[in-house]
Amino acid sequence: MTGAGATLFVVTAIFAIIGALITVAARRPLRAAMGLLVHIVSLAGMFLTLNAHLLAALQLLVYAGAIVVLFVFVIMLIGPEAETGPIEGRLVSRSTAGALTLAVFLVVATSVGGFDAAWIAVDADFGTVEGLGLAIYRNALVPFELISITLLVAIIGAIAIARSPTE
Amino acid sequence: MHEDASQQLALLLIILFPLAGAVVNGLFGRRLPRSLVGFIGVGSVTVSFILSITAFAELFALRGEGVHEAVLTYQFYEWFSLKLPSGAEVAINVRFLMDSLSGVMTLIVTGVGGLIHLYSVGYMSDDDGYPRFFSYLNLFMASMLILVLGSSLPVMFVGWEGVGLCSYLLIGYWYENRDYASAGRKAFVANRVGDFGVLIGMFILVGVVGSFEFADINAAAAQGYFRKDFMMWPFGVVPSIATVACLFLFLGCTGKSAQIPLYVWLPDAMAGPTPVSALIHAATMVTAGVYLCCRLSPLFITSDVAMSVIAVTGTLTALLAATIAVTQREMKKILAYSTVSQLGFMFAAVGVGYFAAGFFHVFTHAFFKACLFLGAGSVMHAVHAHGDADIFKLGGLKKQLPTTRWTFLVSCLAIAGVPLTSGFFSKDEILLGATAQIFRSDDSLMVAVGWFTLIGLTLAAVMTAFYMFRLYFLTFTGEYRSAGESSDGHGYDAHPHESPASMKIPLIFLGLGAIFAGYLGMPHITPFVGTHLPSWWGHWMEASVAGHALPESMNTINIASGLALAAMAIGIGSAWVLYRNKSKDVLAEKVPARLYALVFDKWRVDELYDTVIIGPIKQVATLVGRIDMTFVDALLTRLPSFNAREVGRFLSRMQNGVVHTYGMVLVIGVVSVMAMFWTPRAHVEGALEGETLQLVAAPGFGYEYRWDGDSDGEFESGWSTKRIYAPTYGPEDVRKIFLYVRSPRTGASDHYSLTEQWTRLDLARLDAAWRRTQGSLPIVARLEDGKVQLRMNGAQVFGRTDTPDVIELPTGRGTGIENVLMVPRATVEATVEVRNAFGNVSTASREMTLPDGYLPEQHALLLDATKEGSR
Amino acid sequence: MGIGAYLALASVLFGIGAVGFLTRRNMLIQLMSIELMLNSANVLLLAFNRAYPGNHDGQVFAFFVIAVAAAEAAVGLAIVIAYYRVRKTIETDRATLLRY
Repeated sequence: MTGAGATLFVVTAIFAIIGALITVAARRPLRAAMGLLVHIVSLAGMFLTLNAHLLAALQLLVYAGAIVVLFVFVIMLIGPEAETGPIEGRLVSRSTAGALTLAVFLVVATSVGGFDAAWIAVDADFGTVEGLGLAIYRNALVPFELISITLLVAIIGAIAIARSPTE
Repeated sequence: MHEDASQQLALLLIILFPLAGAVVNGLFGRRLPRSLVGFIGVGSVTVSFILSITAFAELFALRGEGVHEAVLTYQFYEWFSLKLPSGAEVAINVRFLMDSLSGVMTLIVTGVGGLIHLYSVGYMSDDDGYPRFFSYLNLFMASMLILVLGSSLPVMFVGWEGVGLCSYLLIGYWYENRDYASAGRKAFVANRVGDFGVLIGMFILVGVVGSFEFADINAAAAQGYFRKDFMMWPFGVVPSIATVACLFLFLGCTGKSAQIPLYVWLPDAMAGPTPVSALIHAATMVTAGVYLCCRLSPLFITSDVAMSVIAVTGTLTALLAATIAVTQREMKKILAYSTVSQLGFMFAAVGVGYFAAGFFHVFTHAFFKACLFLGAGSVMHAVHAHGDADIFKLGGLKKQLPTTRWTFLVSCLAIAGVPLTSGFFSKDEILLGATAQIFRSDDSLMVAVGWFTLIGLTLAAVMTAFYMFRLYFLTFTGEYRSAGESSDGHGYDAHPHESPASMKIPLIFLGLGAIFAGYLGMPHITPFVGTHLPSWWGHWMEASVAGHALPESMNTINIASGLALAAMAIGIGSAWVLYRNKSKDVLAEKVPARLYALVFDKWRVDELYDTVIIGPIKQVATLVGRIDMTFVDALLTRLPSFNAREVGRFLSRMQNGVVHTYGMVLVIGVVSVMAMFWTPRAHVEGALEGETLQLVAAPGFGYEYRWDGDSDGEFESGWSTKRIYAPTYGPEDVRKIFLYVRSPRTGASDHYSLTEQWTRLDLARLDAAWRRTQGSLPIVARLEDGKVQLRMNGAQVFGRTDTPDVIELPTGRGTGIENVLMVPRATVEATVEVRNAFGNVSTASREMTLPDGYLPEQHALLLDATKEGSR
Repeated sequence: MGIGAYLALASVLFGIGAVGFLTRRNMLIQLMSIELMLNSANVLLLAFNRAYPGNHDGQVFAFFVIAVAAAEAAVGLAIVIAYYRVRKTIETDRATLLRY
C-alpha cells in the first residue's frame, strides 16, 4: 500500500467513525441522516484504496443518492414527530446493551484484528467496471436476475404497505 | 390333525346365518316392518337348523360307514400365532369342527333355539324393542354356535365371551328398570370371575401341550402328559398339572353354568324376557360348562381330585338350589333354581366320570326346561303378569289354558323322572354313574364321593319332583285366585286366555321332545333281570367323549333305578297331598317359620357374599381411590400442570413485543456462542493401533496441536494441525507401575499402586479360598529399581514347587501365583496443547496404563530383565 | 500495513451500529443503524477480496449486499410510514402488539 493510500485510509476511517457516531447519537433524525451521509461518502473513498472502483461509485449512487434521500423524504413526511430523545430506555438496559455490544466488538476485533495478509499486486482490471461487470455476468447471472426481481417486489411491496388505507 | 379333510362350508354357514340376522336386525331393524324382523330372526335360525341337520346327517352317514372317529371340519383362516417361552410357534386357527358331541349340541342349540325364536314372535309382539330383541337373540345364537363348533380353546372362548355378552344384554333388556340392569351386571361380573379361570386353564394347557386344539389336548391327556408334578405358588408341588388345569377350567364352568360358588347370578337373570330365560338360562348357554367338560373329558378323567371336586360341587349345588326352589313363590324363580339344581345333576354326572350321561341330561333338560319356561311365559302372557307371576295368586288355569297345561304337565313328569319320559332315562343314568363309582373304585375317597353323590342326588331328586308338582298344582289346579282382581294393569287379568299359535307350536314340539327325546338313551335291557348293553346314545358319544363304561351288573342298575323311582314317587306324592287344589303354602305351616324364612331368603348367600367379599373389596377400592386422588394425581397431573403453567408464565413475559428485547436476546446468543468457542477444548485418548500406541486429540475448527508424548514438559512437535500422534516410550517414561490381580475362579479383580515400600496384597478379598490355603501370611509387593518384587511368604508360582521367597514379576505379562493371576502394568502420561483461532491455548494430559502384553520396542529395556524370570 | 486495519475498522463500525440499534427507540435511526452494520460487512468483504484478489467474489457479494440494502430500506421505510399513520409515533417501544 502506498503512502497516499494509507493516508486516504486513515482520513476516510476517521470520517466514517465520526459519521457513524453522529448517526447513532443524534437527537434529530435529519442530523442522523447527515451523519449517515458522511459515513457513506467516506466509505466510498475508502473503497478506492481497496481497488473497488465500481463499488465506490455504486456506494455513492445507491446509498448516498437513493437510500439517504429516501430517509430524508420520510423524515420530512413525518415532520416533527420524527424527533425522539437521543438515547432512550432505562439505564440498566442501556448499559447492558452497551456492555454486550462491547463484548462482541472485542471478540471480533481480537480475532480479525490479529489477522493480517500481505498486500499483493492485483490485475489491471480488478474492481473496474469491466472486471467486476464480467465477473457478475459470468459467474453470478442467476443471482443478479433474482436480485432484480427482489427489488421489483420490494418496490411493489413498499407501495402496497405505505399506501393510505383510504385510497 | 385333519387339514386334508374336505372343507365343510355348512359349518361356517350355520354360524353366519344368525350372525347376518343379528347384523341386519341390529342395524336396520327399526326401519323394517315387524313381520320382516320376525321373519329374519326366525328364518336365519331355521336355515341354520336345516344346515345343522344336513351336516349331522353326513356325520351320521360317516359313522354308518364304520369311520369311528368321524369329524367334519371347516378351516376358515389363521387368526394369529403366538410364540411360547419354549420357542415353539402356536398357530391359532379359526377352525370349526363337528363331531358326535358338537353335532348333538348344534342340533339342540339350533332346534330348541329356533322354536324359542318362533315363540318370541308371539311373546314379544307388544314390545317396543322388538328388532333389538331379535338382534340380540340372533347374536346369541351365532356366539353359542361358535362356542360349540370351535375346534380350539381360543375360538371356543370367543363364543364363550360372546354368549356372556348376549346374556348380559338380554338380562338387562328392559334396561329402564334399575334392578333388571343391575341383574345383568351381576351376571356379567360373576362370569368374569369364571372367565379368569378359563383363561388360566387355557394357558396351562397350551404350556404343556403346545397347542390349543381340543384334539391335541385330548390326545396328550390320553398319553399321560398331564400326570407330571407341577410347581405352583403358593401351594408348592401339586399332584398333577391336570388337577390344576381342570380346577381352573371348572372355575369357569361354575361361572357360566351357575354352580356353587358363582350360581348367584342365574336366579337374578330371570329379569330378562321369558324366552331368554328359556333359551339362554335354561337350555343352551348355562350348559356350556358341561359341554366344555365333555369336550375335554379325556383331560378331566385323568385327575381324580378335580373329578371329586366337580362331583361334590355339583351335588351340593343340586341340593342347595332344590331346597330354595321348594319355598319360592314366583314361577320363574322356581324354574331358575330348578335349572341350577339340574345343572348340578349334570356336573355330578361329569364328576363321577359319566360324561355321556351328563351330556344326555343336557339334551333332555333342554327340552323339558325350555318347555317349562315357555309354559310359564304363556301363563304370564295369559294373566298379563309383568315380570313374574306369583303362583299363590294363580290356580285353576287348566280350564283356560289347555295346551299350556298339558305341555307343562308333561314336562313336569319328565323333570320329576316318571318312567318312560326323557328325564327318567337321563336322571337314572346319573344315579347309575354314582352307584357305579361306589362299586368300581378301590380308593376310599372316591367311594365316599360316590356315596355322597348318590345320596345327595337322590334327595335332590325327591325335592325336584316335589317342587315341580307344587308349582303345577298351585298354578293349574284349584280355583283361579285372581278372578276378583281388576284388569287395570296392576293386578292379574281376571279372565286369562290361551296364547296365540306361534307360542303354542313351540310348546307342543318341546313337550313331545320332553317325552320322546329320552328314548335315544334307553338302555337295551329287560327290567330287573336282563343284561345291560350301552344305549344308542352311549355308542354315539363314545367317539368323542371319554368316561367310564357303564356297569353291566344288574344290581347296580336296580339300585339306581329303584332310588330314582322312589324319589319320584315320594316327591310327587307329597306334593299331591300338600298342594293339590290348595291355595295356601301348606309347607310353610309345617316347618319352623325361621327355617322357612331362611330358605325362602335363598339361605342369605347374596348377603354373605356382600359382607365377606364385596364389602372389603369396596373398602379397598375406596382407599386406593383416595390414594390415587391425593398422591398419584398430585404427582402426575397437578405437579406437571403447575410446572407448565409457571414456566409458561415466565417465558411469556419475555415475549413483550419490544424489538429491543428481541435484539438483546439475539446479542446474548451471539455472545454465548462466542464464549463457547473462546477457549479450545482439549481432550486426549490413547488407542492401540496394531502394535503402536496412538494418541488422538479431540477435533475442532481451526485448532492447532502441540504434543508432549511423555509429559516431561518438553514438546517434541511444533504447532501443527495433526491431531493424531504416535509417541515412543522408554523405561524412563514410566510414571507408575500398577499390580493388577485377578482370580479366574471368582472373576473378581483388584489393583494396587506400587511404591518402594512393601504393600500388602489382600488376596482373600478376591477369593475366599485364598484364606484357607494361605492362612494368615500375606503376600507383599514393592517396586525395586523399576521392577516389581514379590515376597511370597510360602505361596507358590502356579505349576512350580520351588519358588524362592522373593521373586520379580515381568511387567506386562501375567504370572499365576497359586490361584490368582498377577500382571504388573506400566503407566505413562501424555500431554497435548491445543490452540484456536483466538490464540487461546488449552492443555490436556492423560495417564495410560499399558495393556497386557504390550511391549513397545523402547520399552524392552524395562522388560528385558524380567522376561527371563517368567520363561 | 495490511488489511488488519480494515478489519478492525469494520469491527468498530459494526459495534457502533449494533449499539445504535439496541439503544435507540427511534425507528428511523434504528434503520440507519442497520445500514451501518451492513456497510461494515461490506468493508470486510472488500478488504478480504483485496487480500486474495484471485477473483471478484467478495466484490460481487458486496454488490448484492448494496442491492438488498436498498430493497430493505424501501420496505422498511414503507413500514415506518404505515406505522406512523396508525399510531402517530415512530417509537418502537409502542409497537408491542405482537406480545403474548
